[in-house]
Amino acid sequence: MGAISSILTIARWEVGRSLAAMSRNVLPVSGVLLLALVLVSGFAAQGGVHLQDGIYRAGVDDPEHYAILAADGRFDVDLAGGDVLLRQRESYDLVVVAGEVLSRDTEKGRAALQALERDYDRYAASVYMQQEDLFAAYPLWVEREYVESELSFPATAGGRIPGASSGRERDPAPEWAVVEVPAPPPTLGFTEAELRSELARGATADDSFERYTQVLSRDRTLEGCTIPALVSPSLPFDTIVLVFVFIFPLYFVSQFCMMSVMNERVERKGEVLLSAPLRPSQIVAGKLLPYLLAMILVSLALILALGAPLSVLLPLLPVMLLFLASALLIGMLSRSFKELSFVSIFFSTIATAYIFFPTVFAHVHAISLISPLTLVVLGLQGEGFGPADYFYATALFYLTGAALLYVGVANFHEERLFGQSGFLSRAREFVDSSLSRERPLASLLLLNILLIPFVFMVQMMELVLFFNLPMPLSLLLLILCAAFTEEVAKSIGLYTLFRREGCGTPVNTLLLACIATALGFLAGEKLLLFAMLAQITHSIFGSILFSSLQVLWWPLLLHLTATGIVAIALKFTGTRGYIPGILLATAVHSLYNLRLIAGWIG
Amino acid sequence: MNGNHVWIIVRKELRGLYSEKTIILAIFLQLFVAMFSAFLMVGLTAMYDPAAISRFSTAEYGVGYAGSDSALLEYLEESPDFRVYRMDLSEAVASLKERKVSAVLYVPDTPPQSDDPVKVTLYLIQNDLQTAVIETKLRDVLVKFEDDLRAARADRLDTRPAELHLPPARPGGGFFEFVYGLLVPLLVFLPAIVASALVIDLITEEFQYRTLETLVSTPISFREIVAGKILACELLVPLQGGAWLLLLSANGIPVLHVPEILLHASAASLILILLAAIAALHYRERSDAQFVFSAALVVVLLLVLALPGNPLAILARLAVGAAGAEHWLSLAVLLLCSGALAAIVHHRTRSG
Repeated sequence: MGAISSILTIARWEVGRSLAAMSRNVLPVSGVLLLALVLVSGFAAQGGVHLQDGIYRAGVDDPEHYAILAADGRFDVDLAGGDVLLRQRESYDLVVVAGEVLSRDTEKGRAALQALERDYDRYAASVYMQQEDLFAAYPLWVEREYVESELSFPATAGGRIPGASSGRERDPAPEWAVVEVPAPPPTLGFTEAELRSELARGATADDSFERYTQVLSRDRTLEGCTIPALVSPSLPFDTIVLVFVFIFPLYFVSQFCMMSVMNERVERKGEVLLSAPLRPSQIVAGKLLPYLLAMILVSLALILALGAPLSVLLPLLPVMLLFLASALLIGMLSRSFKELSFVSIFFSTIATAYIFFPTVFAHVHAISLISPLTLVVLGLQGEGFGPADYFYATALFYLTGAALLYVGVANFHEERLFGQSGFLSRAREFVDSSLSRERPLASLLLLNILLIPFVFMVQMMELVLFFNLPMPLSLLLLILCAAFTEEVAKSIGLYTLFRREGCGTPVNTLLLACIATALGFLAGEKLLLFAMLAQITHSIFGSILFSSLQVLWWPLLLHLTATGIVAIALKFTGTRGYIPGILLATAVHSLYNLRLIAGWIG
Repeated sequence: MNGNHVWIIVRKELRGLYSEKTIILAIFLQLFVAMFSAFLMVGLTAMYDPAAISRFSTAEYGVGYAGSDSALLEYLEESPDFRVYRMDLSEAVASLKERKVSAVLYVPDTPPQSDDPVKVTLYLIQNDLQTAVIETKLRDVLVKFEDDLRAARADRLDTRPAELHLPPARPGGGFFEFVYGLLVPLLVFLPAIVASALVIDLITEEFQYRTLETLVSTPISFREIVAGKILACELLVPLQGGAWLLLLSANGIPVLHVPEILLHASAASLILILLAAIAALHYRERSDAQFVFSAALVVVLLLVLALPGNPLAILARLAVGAAGAEHWLSLAVLLLCSGALAAIVHHRTRSG
């Protein structure tokens, strides 16, 4: 009870302090800014965004064609006689003479031609829209029916393109039970007025602003029924925009948390707290609690405003945890405000990318599930997710968040908070105080187990990044980067230990440290893999990352050799040998993986 | 104001940045954003222009066709993208669910000249990246069929659109607007945003670390200190922007009028930096100043983007060589704005 009440006291204190400062200085201005934002976005939604104005030059000889081009801001159009235009063809990207379009054969000319094509389609549509006889102007209507695929991940995880019939000779026939599908009625189920308003909507839907506001308001009149020209991809990107709506408030709140931690160090108010009879874990919990509550409240408000199911909040929780844990650490590590800015922007960009990239592949590849936000997308589309999906998508976030919190709490004391060394050496000090002095080997083992979720996160990100590149290149890059990431992670503990004692570190201590590192890494790898990554190990990409699943002796030997290389480099050349040592270890590791892919081992 | 004093501050701040090495992170960050954009570019083009990814995959998609014969069936058979199977509707939809075909079309027996519309039903797999590609490919075939039907009913139309003969589409050009209309302005302006966040940190840290008294007790005045900090941040902008443009041209994306672009970017970023400095001088506290500034930045950027002839659009036009002499006018407006803001900073730093 005592622990909880002191946590609450600190939380109240934190709220009172930050709220007092906020309301005095910032709240009035933010009210004005919010109003300005609403006004400006209304203005921008009306006029559109002018970013590509006048990038093409076109010459036209017919006023009617001139009107088509002049309606598009991207064109800078001249109206002149046909012979004049033909003479000056070189100074235009596009020339329209007597209804014939001539474009320059450059990148820019081709792009201008594409722009004109879309403009012409829009113009033709506006003419057809005026017609008395709607079904003479638009004789063909397409109704889209979406069916849910019964084969989801296993088919696509293997890298197969589903439905593509390349190489298949037999006609496709269903293997499972066929459900009777009634022939759709040949008539449209809508009145002419409804169809006309759908067309009018389609004419303006090109504007990107409009599209997003429509997703947000879910104002779709004729679900699925449209004319061929409007059969455009149903953008999965629209839901992804919503993802940003959820992430940005979290990012802002964590900024305030970071700043509160930093301010305590700058103004030395934290010293008072530290001298109180409280454990660091209580102080940290009390400080973070209000921010966590703020994040939950903001997310709840967003969920209610969007009318999304409440379960969407669940996948956001680990994201909040990770954001807060890293805010705590960044606030504790930074020496100056500019360092805080750079590191926090860097972290949030990486984190946002990690969360964002995989959601692009929602529904397409199992990989998309490594981001908790994919679950949010699924939830928003009303599909829901099971506990297995939840575990798979959030486990890494929970683990890394918890590990970062532990490091933060272990270092929440005066010496670390008010020290003034450089960022990297401070980071090393943080790792150093997380390593026990009495049992260095046991904590080295533990450290490497704890590092696994971070390594996996980085490797997952590399996997998603390289996924789009052509095949041999993506494999090679992935092998190199995955190996490098692992080697850097394994060397962290070793390097910290070495820095404690310098070049005088006895050889057998280093050897034991290598063994502890290799064992810890292997154990962590196995634990996580068996628990959750079975899905990805089916694909060829998975087999590179997690190749060590099959045999135990080979990977142990590999980890030992690689850390051994770094240890030897450190022992004989000191800290100068650290980077070359890691590079050499990476090379060895990559070669091993290449051999493994080629099937020479195991 | 003493130029030497300002220069001393500039050197101090740049040295501080260099020794902290965090500027490296900022550069990393920008590289990352560029990578991120490249990723989006591949993704987006894949959606809107499947021809662009057909370089990567030459897959032929299976399509189930049910209902009565029509010109649509012929067009589908002619198309190199599709392999058509005549199937029973129920079986076709079941195959679609098992991903044995990638789309199913049902065509009713409405005659082309009928008073009623022809309604084609298209069955697709829900919410799938591949579905998006197929919809785009099917669109062309469907538009062809629509043209046929429209021609058959032409006598019922009052007016027809003016004819325009477009040459057959050539590959390429899909990345052009993205690269010059979005990536180049973004990359050139990113350093400006980084620099304006930086100036807040540099100014507020003097207040919050209480180092200002020490600094002001030297012969350097408060105004010179602030001027030095602003100048240090401003100097970083053309340096970083120039590095980006060099990197772009090394990647085969030539950018025209580089000096003018850098001039515009510097003038525009001076405005942002001065705004940030005003926020920092007003709040004297980092989190408040950063919060208000970043909120204001969103408003200002949105407003600027909505204005025709805004600096970002002019940058894009300069990069493709489509800007006339009017960009000097825009530059003058930018300088005028920064002059006004500089006067405010001058006024606020009067007391010291």
